[in-house]
Amino acid sequence: MTHSLHRLGNKNELKNDYVILAMIAASEREKIPDFRVKLLRIAEILKRYNPTNIMPEFARKLSPVITAVFTDIETVKDILYELKREDLGISIVVSGLIDEIGYATKEVGLNMHTIHLSLGTFGKKELLPKNPETLEITTMCGHHCTSSQSIEYYINLIKEGKISIEKAAEKLAKPCVCGIFNTQRAIEKLSELLKK
Amino acid sequence: MRIRENVCNGCGQCVAVCPVQAIKLVNNIAVIDNNLCVECSVCYRDANCPTKAIKMDRLKWPRIIRSPFSNVIATHKLTGIPGRGTEEMKTNDVTNRFGFGEIGVSIEIGRPGVGTRLSNIELFTTKLSKIGVEYEKDSPVTAIIADEHGHIKEDIKDERVLSAIIEFKVPEEILPQVLRIIRQVEQEIDTVFTLGIVSRFMKDNSIPVINVLSQEGFQVRPNAKINVGLGRNF
Repeated sequence: MTHSLHRLGNKNELKNDYVILAMIAASEREKIPDFRVKLLRIAEILKRYNPTNIMPEFARKLSPVITAVFTDIETVKDILYELKREDLGISIVVSGLIDEIGYATKEVGLNMHTIHLSLGTFGKKELLPKNPETLEITTMCGHHCTSSQSIEYYINLIKEGKISIEKAAEKLAKPCVCGIFNTQRAIEKLSELLKK
Repeated sequence: MRIRENVCNGCGQCVAVCPVQAIKLVNNIAVIDNNLCVECSVCYRDANCPTKAIKMDRLKWPRIIRSPFSNVIATHKLTGIPGRGTEEMKTNDVTNRFGFGEIGVSIEIGRPGVGTRLSNIELFTTKLSKIGVEYEKDSPVTAIIADEHGHIKEDIKDERVLSAIIEFKVPEEILPQVLRIIRQVEQEIDTVFTLGIVSRFMKDNSIPVINVLSQEGFQVRPNAKINVGLGRNF
């Protein structure tokens, strides 16, 4: 129930981080024999707008969900406009800054239906990594499969000149099979960590 | 998961990728702490082990329960979708699972990246069941609640998972009671949890529940998930 909900970062950073998710309701799958065609059509549209990451092709062919991540609200707006025009009837969820999504939906002429608000993290927070940048990177995987020590591992490899920042960001994105790990944002965060 | 010690070359790549730090190098050989391991299979999939030393064991009950709560590739039999959650608000424009005046609550125990014993679920569910919340019927967590008092099945309590999401809905007027229970459990629990609240937008795009949350001392983060209303019944 959470997936892309608890991505950490300040408002300025989150301006470059929007996840689009398309999902066919289980109750509708039997009624729409060509639902896979519709989902793949959405994937085609998302791909055309150059996402910074997208669900890998093998998963797109099997999953009732299609996901991708984008770095600006104007692109999200254009995608929503196209999805509205296509009228495929598939549920679309956008994760990101509430105000910005409100702006985009208003421009496109959509009525926002339901919101999932994040209230943050509670409990034994002393167990969390101390660097805020670490959690800002790991929370970009919706199932938290990117580990905090892998960031340290790749930072060391970058420092030793064994890997580029871009390649390290790709490696960190690999465990995220949904393709919602924002590699562009990871590059920026790794650069910040390297300066520390 | 299992690492064949006679094949491991001690490169440490599996140590780096493990989301719950269950793998350590001992005498230059990677060793998995089976108590900590949540069976997410990230080491198997993503460590790119140069000697193919990592193996997925055929799991037996009750350890097998770790997998659907940790391995994103594992599709839970109940939900029919990969991962730990359900359709929840993602398809609410089609299912109307959350109507006006109803509030959805998601408590993801063990996230971000700490993990949890399934017994921690009980800290919440034994209290929440007393005030009559409606658990999401398709949630993997609901499937392991053994009775109407919110107890978890005894034989799986000690199993450790990457995270477990308690999903339920309540009438809006019950929400303050729920939030007070969450504050209480926050003092008792030995791990972390994230909290999410689902609400319908009003016609003017307002979200009245934010005021209720504020009155109870909870701040809303600036980012959220928004269903933009493009889904429909066929």
